[in-house]
Amino acid sequence: MRHRNLYQILFAAVIFCGCNSTQKIVTTYYAENEQVLNNIEQSFKTLYRQRPFSIEFTDRSFNFFSIEIMTDSLKYIYEFGINEKRIKDTLLKYALNKEGILDIITQMRSIQCTWINNLDFYVDQEKHSLVFISMRPVELSKPFTNKKYYIITYFSQPQYFDNEGKLLVKKQMKRTRKINGEIFWRINDKVCYTISARFR
Amino acid sequence: MVIDVVSASDEIHFKNDTTPVSTQQQAIDFIKKIDTLIKSDYWPHIRPKTFLENIRLNIYKPLSIYEGVSTNFCGYAALSYILLHDDPLQYAKFMIELYEHGEATMGKVFFHPSPEIEQAAGAMKFKGKLDISPADQIWFLSLADHFKGYLNVFDKHYDAGDEDKLWASVNYAKFNRMVRELFNERVDAIGSDLIHPAINDLYEYISSKMKKGTMVLYINNTFLYKKTHSALKLAIPTHYIILERISKIDDTITIVYWDYGGRSLRQLTPKFLKRITYGISHCTKKMNDAP
Repeated sequence: MRHRNLYQILFAAVIFCGCNSTQKIVTTYYAENEQVLNNIEQSFKTLYRQRPFSIEFTDRSFNFFSIEIMTDSLKYIYEFGINEKRIKDTLLKYALNKEGILDIITQMRSIQCTWINNLDFYVDQEKHSLVFISMRPVELSKPFTNKKYYIITYFSQPQYFDNEGKLLVKKQMKRTRKINGEIFWRINDKVCYTISARFR
Repeated sequence: MVIDVVSASDEIHFKNDTTPVSTQQQAIDFIKKIDTLIKSDYWPHIRPKTFLENIRLNIYKPLSIYEGVSTNFCGYAALSYILLHDDPLQYAKFMIELYEHGEATMGKVFFHPSPEIEQAAGAMKFKGKLDISPADQIWFLSLADHFKGYLNVFDKHYDAGDEDKLWASVNYAKFNRMVRELFNERVDAIGSDLIHPAINDLYEYISSKMKKGTMVLYINNTFLYKKTHSALKLAIPTHYIILERISKIDDTITIVYWDYGGRSLRQLTPKFLKRITYGISHCTKKMNDAP
């Protein structure tokens, strides 16, 4: 019986610590990595305009990544080891900015960023887009943590939020907007975050 | 000489084909004649103009049909690929009929969507391009409302948000049944919802079948499109893709497939292909003397 109580206390402590660390990440992660994140977002937006693409780190140790290159007729999906020489050949083949893409990959790796992509969403039948960045911080990799990814979205226009900071569909409409099935929260007018079980 | 014989044989098969097929041009000619539609009483959230625009887009660009973000509509989208390529005129006529009268027939199937479906269509949100595709909402919801498999047993009644849940899911037998009943196609299916097909050389099997018809693969999507880095992954299929091309050099297989409103090219190993594949459905037009 004594052992059972002990296990219950330990279990509660683990859960409590998990919640606390998650909260800490939410409040401090963006501030600590703001400069790198903004650089990644800006570079990605510029290069995406030249040719749409996305980058995903496919393993936990950030040694392999996949790049999706969109052309008019096909989306090419390639996977590389981080130091593979054929990366450059592939980027050249699809007329992608070699230095720019490699710089994004290096910066993503430096802050455990797992995925970057451009997502479309619609307001009043009108298409808008946002930059979707997922991270897998070490703090969220602990056991008993279901939601392991910290996601940041960059909008082109200022967004609307309720009193609690939840992202809304429109100013007049108090309906919460979901992106990839998740509710997002305010960092500033154009940047939101959430913590998710999936990185994409 | 051999090639001539094969061509002649194909010609005969085409003439004997009992499947009502149409061309993209026939569908374009049909839809061009429809300038306006009267707003339907059956679909209160759908404006005729956007409905027609959606139908036109699907006819002109059949690859663009998109199942939406986080929905379980991929089986219905794969089905739509077959319809939009093999019989776009039937698609156009069926959709107009369904919009105007709230009921319509395709193949052996009579569709009479429930009032909940009529209310839901046109009102879906946060599903990406599906948000602005009201005809696709009608089509996917009507299919999910009508066809039921064992995965739908515990959720047969549509409630808001059910497009992401078991209500909309498509088990393998249900997918093959839908193709047979809707399009009068012959479906040679091998595989299941739990066990990989017992084929030694998957590449050889698939590539030998791909000379005719449409090839649908039922796959485990958690490997094809990783969403987590977890080592523990459910070993079950969750996604349907249309395989358009397959080739092999040494130990690298290159596939071109259609899903999520576009074509993708990806390279994989034979082991990986075997790991993700649970079902292979080869759909061909039925012949007069077909069993």
